[in-house]
Amino acid sequence: MSIIKIENLVRDYGEGKGVFDISFHVNQGEAFGFLGPNGAGKTTTIRHLMGFLKPESGKCTIDGLDCWNEREKVQARLGYIPGEISFFDDMSGTEFLKFIAEYRKIGTQSRKKELLERFELDPKSKIKKMSKGTKQKLGIVAAFMHDPDILILDEPTSGLDPLMQSRFVNLVAEEKEHNKTVLMSSHIFEEVERTCDRIGIIRKGRMITVDSAVTLHKRHTHSYTVTLENEAIAKAFASDFDGICNGTKVTVTTKQSLEEIFMNYYGGDKND
Amino acid sequence: MINIALYKHEMKGSIKLLIIFGTIITMYVSIIINMYNPEMMKTLDGFIEVMPELMASVGMKANATNLLGFMISYLYGFILLIFPMLFCILRGNALIAKYVDKGSMVSLVAAPVKRHIIAFTQMKVLISGILLLVFYSTIVELVCTRIGFPEKLDIIALLILNGGLLCLHLFIGGICFLSSCIFSDTKYSVAFGAGIPIFMYVLQMLANVGGSAEKVKYFTFFTLFNPDGIIVGESSAIVGIFTLFVGAIILYILGIIVFERKDLYI
Repeated sequence: MSIIKIENLVRDYGEGKGVFDISFHVNQGEAFGFLGPNGAGKTTTIRHLMGFLKPESGKCTIDGLDCWNEREKVQARLGYIPGEISFFDDMSGTEFLKFIAEYRKIGTQSRKKELLERFELDPKSKIKKMSKGTKQKLGIVAAFMHDPDILILDEPTSGLDPLMQSRFVNLVAEEKEHNKTVLMSSHIFEEVERTCDRIGIIRKGRMITVDSAVTLHKRHTHSYTVTLENEAIAKAFASDFDGICNGTKVTVTTKQSLEEIFMNYYGGDKND
Repeated sequence: MINIALYKHEMKGSIKLLIIFGTIITMYVSIIINMYNPEMMKTLDGFIEVMPELMASVGMKANATNLLGFMISYLYGFILLIFPMLFCILRGNALIAKYVDKGSMVSLVAAPVKRHIIAFTQMKVLISGILLLVFYSTIVELVCTRIGFPEKLDIIALLILNGGLLCLHLFIGGICFLSSCIFSDTKYSVAFGAGIPIFMYVLQMLANVGGSAEKVKYFTFFTLFNPDGIIVGESSAIVGIFTLFVGAIILYILGIIVFERKDLYI
């Protein structure tokens, strides 16, 4: 059953900016990766889902509820990490989380403690003085602490170090196991590939493709197995090129950048 | 109808300004009221003789016949207009537009709280601040006159006068609030929210000077607040207050509707 549904969404900012006739859906218990370069229209689409923007035409619904007209009902079930974290600067992280809990009228906050520990976040300092990564962690805690069943995450790992990124990936995987629905935007192919079941690629406001992560992975990565002189060299080779070592054989996989993937879809049309 | 958590947070944000303006008002009001004695009045009237235009522009006139008239002349043309107005401008902008501009509005709208409840709560914060300032000014006036001149003040007239003052500031607050709801950019929110009341006040100053500039009074809402008329119960002055009050309600409702329907690029 599709929980998040976008049908023919249009928002024209002029000069080719905006989103044009976008449609896709996210099923219950599925993680959907929303992939595209900066300025492609990811955040604009998400703002419609959040009920911040009214569609010029088309429709966004979450579990059958209209994202604009019934936004507070939708919001009750959502957890959201904004693309640009900007909280009340005058508060400390602790105060902010307390404020959000009271503001949302969340009773139990058992989840908060667990999340703070998971991301090794000490929220005592003033938000103003926090680094980008720390603010991002705070955003993650605020988005997950009321245990929502639908998650909309706009570039959730930006600013996080690799360790925290992988903890975040684990968190999303766990949420998925609990049958939660996740929409996650990113401009990094690997990140989405690791987390999501299906991936939609957007460029210049248009959906280029929606496909399963496995299919896209197959289409856009190539594996090569090479045999090296001895195991020591093979191991060194594997560690240098991020390959999988098996005796003297090493399998390496190419990683295409998002731009290269786009080139694929546009047949190398660089002027576009 | 309001979100308590947000109301508490925002009232905390108002405290500093309220204390600052409260202190300034306490100082001015107590000093001015204590000047109400024949000798001091002569000095003040002397100022007016020396620079009649300047004094008139801020509503100060010579030869007040009683204590209330004296207070109107020296308090209700400048101090009790300017400081609550500054409060409206600063808080009005900060309550909505600043959050939208900075993006922190995300935390408020990405929650199961209706937008009109957010706007209504912020409006209540602004109105609470205005109420506190006017209420506090009234207390200071009552205390100062009580101490200095127990028998001389018509308390009912003062209360009605301050009711009028409250309506004026609610109206000014309404302008700031509406502007804050319309514009997503602090720049424009301040330009209109502060620009309109200040411009109107300048027109009022011009009109006060008199002469050919007096016609300007038809172009500023400050004319609707006529202290001298209020204390003698002139019907036009009462209509003025009523107009301000109704205008204020319309401005706040418009602000809430605009915020409810607007696109937020946050």
